Amino acid sequence: MEEQRQITVIQTAAILVSTIIGVGVLPLPLFAVRAGESAAPLVTLFGMAVASIGLVLITWLGMRFSNKTIIQYSEDIIGKWAARLGSLLIIVFFAVLTSLTAREFGEVVVTSVLKSTPVEVTVIVMLLLAAISTRNTITTFAYIHHFYFPLLLVPILLIAFLSFKNAEVINLQPIFGNDLKGIMMGTMTIAALFQGSFILTMVIPSMRKPEKAMLASFWGMLIAGGLYLLIVVAAVSVFGAEEIKNLLWPTLELAKATSLPANILERLDAAVLAVWVTAVFTTLLSSYFFTIYAITQLFRLADHKMFSFFLLPFVFIMAMLPQNIVQMYDIIENVGRIGLYITIGYPGLLFMISILRKKRGNQNGDESMDKIG
Amino acid sequence: METNQWIKSVKLVCVMLITVPLLTGCWDQLEIDERAVVLGVSIDVAGEDAEQEESEVGHVQGAVPAPRSGMVRVGVQIALPGRIPLGPGEGGGSQEDSQQTVWVIEVVGHSINDAFMNLQQQISSKLFFGHLRVIVISEALAKKGLENVNDYFRRNSEVRRMAWMMISKGHAMGLMRAAPKLERMPTLYLMSTLDEGINLGRFPKDYLGIFWSNTSKKGQEGFLPYVEMKKEQNVEIMGLAYFKNNRMVGVTKPLEIAGYLGLKGVNPAGYSAVINLEGMDESVMTNVTQRGSKFDLQIKNGLPHFTIDVNLEVNLEEKMNDEQLIDNTETIKSIDRKQEEVSEKFYKDIIRKTQEKGSDIFGFGEYVRAKKPGYWNKRIKTKENWQRMYKDATFDVNVTVNVRRIGMKAK
Amino acid sequence: MPFMKGFKKSNKKTKAAAPSQKLAAHEHDQISGNLEDTIAFINDLLGANMDLTVRRFHVFGKYQAVMYYFSNMINQTVVNTDILKPLMYIPPHLEGKNLEIQQLEEVLLNDTLYHSEAKMESQLSTLVEGILRGDTVVAIEGIKEALIIATRTIDKRGIDQPATEQVIRGPREGFIEMLGTNIGLLRYRLPSSDLRIESMEIGRRTKSKVAICYMEGITNPELVKEVNTRLAKIDIDAVLDSGYLEQFIEDNHLSPFPQVQYTERPDKIVANLLEGRVAILVDGSPLALVVPTVFNQFYQTVEDYTERFLMMSAVRLARLVALMFSLIFPSLYVSIISFNPELIPTEFAVAVAGGRAGVPFPAVIEVLIIEVSMEVLREATIRLPQQVGGALSIVGVLVVGQAAVAAGFASPITVVIIALTTIGSFATPAYNAALALRLLRFPLIMMAGTFGLYGVMIGLILIANHLLSLKSFGVPYLSPLVPGNFQGMKDLIIRGPLSWMKNRPSFLNPVDKVKVGDVTAGEARNGSDSAQTPSTNEKEKEG
Repeated sequence: MEEQRQITVIQTAAILVSTIIGVGVLPLPLFAVRAGESAAPLVTLFGMAVASIGLVLITWLGMRFSNKTIIQYSEDIIGKWAARLGSLLIIVFFAVLTSLTAREFGEVVVTSVLKSTPVEVTVIVMLLLAAISTRNTITTFAYIHHFYFPLLLVPILLIAFLSFKNAEVINLQPIFGNDLKGIMMGTMTIAALFQGSFILTMVIPSMRKPEKAMLASFWGMLIAGGLYLLIVVAAVSVFGAEEIKNLLWPTLELAKATSLPANILERLDAAVLAVWVTAVFTTLLSSYFFTIYAITQLFRLADHKMFSFFLLPFVFIMAMLPQNIVQMYDIIENVGRIGLYITIGYPGLLFMISILRKKRGNQNGDESMDKIG
Repeated sequence: METNQWIKSVKLVCVMLITVPLLTGCWDQLEIDERAVVLGVSIDVAGEDAEQEESEVGHVQGAVPAPRSGMVRVGVQIALPGRIPLGPGEGGGSQEDSQQTVWVIEVVGHSINDAFMNLQQQISSKLFFGHLRVIVISEALAKKGLENVNDYFRRNSEVRRMAWMMISKGHAMGLMRAAPKLERMPTLYLMSTLDEGINLGRFPKDYLGIFWSNTSKKGQEGFLPYVEMKKEQNVEIMGLAYFKNNRMVGVTKPLEIAGYLGLKGVNPAGYSAVINLEGMDESVMTNVTQRGSKFDLQIKNGLPHFTIDVNLEVNLEEKMNDEQLIDNTETIKSIDRKQEEVSEKFYKDIIRKTQEKGSDIFGFGEYVRAKKPGYWNKRIKTKENWQRMYKDATFDVNVTVNVRRIGMKAK
Repeated sequence: MPFMKGFKKSNKKTKAAAPSQKLAAHEHDQISGNLEDTIAFINDLLGANMDLTVRRFHVFGKYQAVMYYFSNMINQTVVNTDILKPLMYIPPHLEGKNLEIQQLEEVLLNDTLYHSEAKMESQLSTLVEGILRGDTVVAIEGIKEALIIATRTIDKRGIDQPATEQVIRGPREGFIEMLGTNIGLLRYRLPSSDLRIESMEIGRRTKSKVAICYMEGITNPELVKEVNTRLAKIDIDAVLDSGYLEQFIEDNHLSPFPQVQYTERPDKIVANLLEGRVAILVDGSPLALVVPTVFNQFYQTVEDYTERFLMMSAVRLARLVALMFSLIFPSLYVSIISFNPELIPTEFAVAVAGGRAGVPFPAVIEVLIIEVSMEVLREATIRLPQQVGGALSIVGVLVVGQAAVAAGFASPITVVIIALTTIGSFATPAYNAALALRLLRFPLIMMAGTFGLYGVMIGLILIANHLLSLKSFGVPYLSPLVPGNFQGMKDLIIRGPLSWMKNRPSFLNPVDKVKVGDVTAGEARNGSDSAQTPSTNEKEKEG
């Protein structure tokens, strides 16, 4: 796919934010509270910090090899076959991530709104929606993320601010929590929720100014992390840590307890869930697009569109594997933590080797080429 | 390019063709008029012979033993759509009996869900809890414990957290059958009684969700409004029914709600109090307009000691006779002092009352957990420990009262 | 199209695949100089038409000549006094001189004819085309070229208020069918040497004149080139309206959204030209096309820029709301009524249930039925003569709606919703965009009937994704919203003050980017503190 470099810094940041923020927001306060009770915001911050390390690594790598995706530059760094193994792992991981996202959202929808609709239907609808949209170029992909970005901010900010009138500060204290044992595990779980940021490795080669990728990832992380933090703070301050442990999707419950002023809508859960379809869609789109794009590059093909439907049955079947919702969340948490090795460990390895072997993506030549083109 | 686009569109059509059969589902479509919109639910303890009355819907008779807390009798109030006119005042004869706008049915069951299933068997439309506004629970059941009730309603995604749960003196069913004149639908009247109570400063915000949160907290207990039906089919808020875990352990007097509100510093404020002036048999009534409170926590002798500063802004509302004129600062000061004295005792009594039952509805324990995490982790840690320790905690209450205005009369 | 046949009588005999085959066969034939040959040729092609006038006469009293024209396409007076008369009488200064036949050509053009637009042509086919266009052709015995004199006068409509784009504040002129007049209107507003008007003939049979207008030095030359290539590729029988062209040059034929804007307002064209767009005018069509087009143009009007910005921003917001209304209102209603009734207030929910209690259909079917009947009603109102149309729409809406409710066919709220939707769709200034949204409403209603709010959202995402992938002449359809451009945002949802909008829309890649100079914008604001403030006046009086 010979694409012009058209993606701006703002679009890159929007891609990061809308990829990171997805269905994970719904159980997020639960994960955070399980780990740290009233220190949940702190746990979220830690998670954000860990995820930032990963993001900074891939941004550095991306800027060093500003014309190549991770699939391509890993071959330069650690050799063809080792790199292919790594790429394969990444691809499989993102395929799994796609299917789990679709399944998780399917479960949410089926549990809370469409009770008699088979979960298969909600999952396949989301996957189809993503598959159809992956058939666009990466520029359109960026446009899509950019366009939905405000739609993602509105419900979160709305819920957070409306619920602050019921908030009690005492629920957030002590900010270091009463029990610090689970914090490490929780940090990892929450860091795993930021894994979508790996999409940056695909975006940098199409950025108009790849040297500004760091700025984009800084803003992306700041906004996404800020929103995460906001949701956790809102949920904990309204419900209190103990109550959140009783709730499967505290964010949704928060929406349920919120009503618009003047009772235009008496409760927001169904409406928020509907708007949340866009957020989940963007996440799914990213991970699915990443999978397809990576496969295309791994096999050095020109067109990524053919895979968008070819891969669909596999992803769908994977999504249907978890037997029940409890097992699903176990799998999600485990996969997420394992994923950290792939999304943080692997780039870290690549980064170190590239420094040791002094490999660079021949940047000067690229820049002059850019000027001509 | 052209042919490419055609291929693209043909593919798109194929995708559509695959998707269209999916769209023919309509699994969840259920028109609003085909739903049995449950507005209120009452839950009573069922009598001894209830098991005979029960139809075999959820289980075969005798197969399941009656649960520990006994069987329940559930009454529901279902809105009758046809009876409520669309738009204001179209009905003409507005003084209709409430029995005509709602339908009240009662069933028995082993558990809440069991009872609802029995009920579903009896009516055609699907029960819909999305508009459930009021859950009334009889005192007897509340004393047995609300685990089952809380669990069912928390699990059900349709139930809103902004609904009200209340404890009724006597049978809860009676409140379902009540027909107050002010609202078209009886439960909405019940609900607005409490909602208005919040606006008038006569009742704390205590929606179902808040009750649940409070019950879950380690250092706090839940409480619910305690209501009674009066002669004219109206409802009086009789006090706070306070809980220990999921079990109701006591009830306050109506005025003690004001005590709770004052200690928590809840605004808007709205209770009045009668103050006897010093050295005279004259009394005045004051109305609280603004409340403020501050907790201060110290650990004394290994036990938490709270100093509570309550700050009340009051207006003078009424004077019983003309002996004393309210026209100088001294008199006002004396009213201040007198009310301070009365209130301090009053607040302490309420706290003592809850202490006796080990039911910390004020959330003092949460305060300990938040402000002295070290002490909490070492000495308390669990809900049970706090319930025990609460009884031994000591309290100092300081009240500051300021009479600000005396109404339109000059003396 | 029965009237087309009249024009093409010439090739009725031969079942020709190509138009004017006979003419094509003689494409390179020259005039022989023998007058009878020429007459035979033209008569053979056009002689069967009753409106063809053949007038034989003698030039200067001695050279045999013939004059051809279509009698209804020319100005009789001009032909008589400016052509026939001078041709018959030898000019006074030449009287008595012996004129060679070779000289005659020169004399005719330079000394005789009182008409500015006359030229000599030697090709027979050109003569025929000239006659068909409304020119008068004069052929003279012995001369190998014939005179073609532009005498075309077609009756035309006066310049009226634009019927579809009326404004309260702004110019009142609209384009008419005649291309020449339309170009005149443009030149009048834009007397600039940079205005380029290129022309092209499209339509194998109609040979419609198409004018491509752009501003040299503003419009991106690549864009002009692209427009020219796309237009040149068009091979069609007839171009009867600019709408035919639109469908050939748009980027995505399957999209419901219009990718080309049309307008009948010269001022709008001029504004667009100055932004760096290209306008396409077609002879015979009062609607000019503007490319490239982005979505926000469809809810903007000329008036937005003539009134003060605060008011028009509010009006524009209202228009956007109406746009959203017309798209999603019915589907939201369906999903709330049949999927999520817990969202609306309890009192209202119970009342709505009461209103629906007698209706036998599910809400989806009910809404679909009423929507379809509304569409039928609307179509009927357009087709009927104006006098009847007004009456019908009132009867239709009031009586049918009321009756449907009374008959238990629909609930009153449904009627309210559909009425709001319909009114909302009228508030969109561009008819073609409103049409697209009207159409898309139906799949959304069906999605709502299947998945409730979830379905509506999926539908909206599909629509939005489509819009995002759409391009008009390479410009992303949702520019300047996506890809983000802060300059452009000032004129997107609100209409910023003109002094804010200093640059032309950047997504058009104009050559000259600046629209409003710094100085102008500054002066306009600083100038307010001038002589008319009361204090200064009083001082002057005192002094």
